[in-house]
Amino acid sequence: MTFSDEVLMAYADDELDESTRTAVEAAMAADPEIARRIARHRALRERLRSAFDPVLDEPVPPKLIDLARNAPVPSNASYESQVVSLPRRRAGRITLPQWAALAASLLIGVVAGRLAFHGSGPGLIATHDGHMMARGLLADALTRQLASQNGATQPVQIGVSFRSKAGQYCRTFSMPASAMAGLACHAADGWRLQVLSGAQEQEVTAGGYRQASSSMPPAIASAVSDEISGEPLDARAEAAARGRDWQP
Amino acid sequence: MGPAIEDLRDEIIAMLPRLRRFARSLAREPHDADDLVQITVERALGRAAQFHGDSHFAGWLFGILRNAWIDECRSRRRREPLHAPEELADGVGDPAAGSQSELLCVQDALFRLPEEQRLAVSLVLIEGFSYKEAAEIMNVPIGTLTSRLARGREALQNMLSQTSEAQP
Repeated sequence: MTFSDEVLMAYADDELDESTRTAVEAAMAADPEIARRIARHRALRERLRSAFDPVLDEPVPPKLIDLARNAPVPSNASYESQVVSLPRRRAGRITLPQWAALAASLLIGVVAGRLAFHGSGPGLIATHDGHMMARGLLADALTRQLASQNGATQPVQIGVSFRSKAGQYCRTFSMPASAMAGLACHAADGWRLQVLSGAQEQEVTAGGYRQASSSMPPAIASAVSDEISGEPLDARAEAAARGRDWQP
Repeated sequence: MGPAIEDLRDEIIAMLPRLRRFARSLAREPHDADDLVQITVERALGRAAQFHGDSHFAGWLFGILRNAWIDECRSRRRREPLHAPEELADGVGDPAAGSQSELLCVQDALFRLPEEQRLAVSLVLIEGFSYKEAAEIMNVPIGTLTSRLARGREALQNMLSQTSEAQP
């Protein structure tokens, strides 16, 4: 059986339906020339990828990150209703390479830079199984620290704690020394970071976060309003959740 | 409060490395490529209202970048009607090239393809889009995409096997 080069190309690109794929594989086993042509298609893909992939590891120019973060958006009344479904729920479908890209551009470029600069130490954030996870003293604070225990000397300030619509416990936090804030939700594998954002300067100096939702960075506040089920936990419910190790 | 716009910004930032890689397969000079990414970010935010949550986010952004590149090609052709290929030689003898040399070699081959073939090759083989997604980004039927991809691939294979055989 002979196949056009387009079919062999589609095989190499994993674009064939199952029956054609099976036929190609049978032909491949019988005819080394077919196998060779397919290998050639794959080799070209590999060569292109290995030539261009290093671009992914280049630091993203801060100018571009700044533009994406801060460029004004035209006000448009229809915007909210159309785009509101884009969001964070999509994060679950983001593939690992995209998370790796996020880690490279956002975390390493912005967050880790700040963390390192302020000597808070590395290892506060790691990617695991496609999620960004809190690690080290950030994870410790999320697990142990009550909002009432925030103090000027604590590296992590705990904000609001609440139950998410998915039933998980979630907590907002900030790290004044590195001017970062975020939202983490407790999952089986630890505290998953839902959002990270630069904290605003006045929040850092303002200290206490117990009633600070109004001064939360907008990205965090909107994530909370997206995720929250019911009301934030009061001090007693917060302590009780900690007592259950944040298990739902 | 605008919840969605912050999400859009975050998603765009997460895509920046891939947008830069894609732009590098379209524009030879890194700073030209980053200019394309910049235009893409501006347009994406400017047209946030166009984006529908159910469409493919990456495809939407890559489509904006592709259109920005086409606009740029058109205006460049008007500015430099006799644009000569001698800049191909730039950087070839650059001792700092190192890992860049494979990129330049592959890039040179890629840049000899007709634009539409280059786009098909880049979207499918470098960016890893499915045929369907790539056809949507290019705004062509899937058959057109596959024939451009096949022709571009064949030409590239010939060029690259020649260069690797010709070089010691």
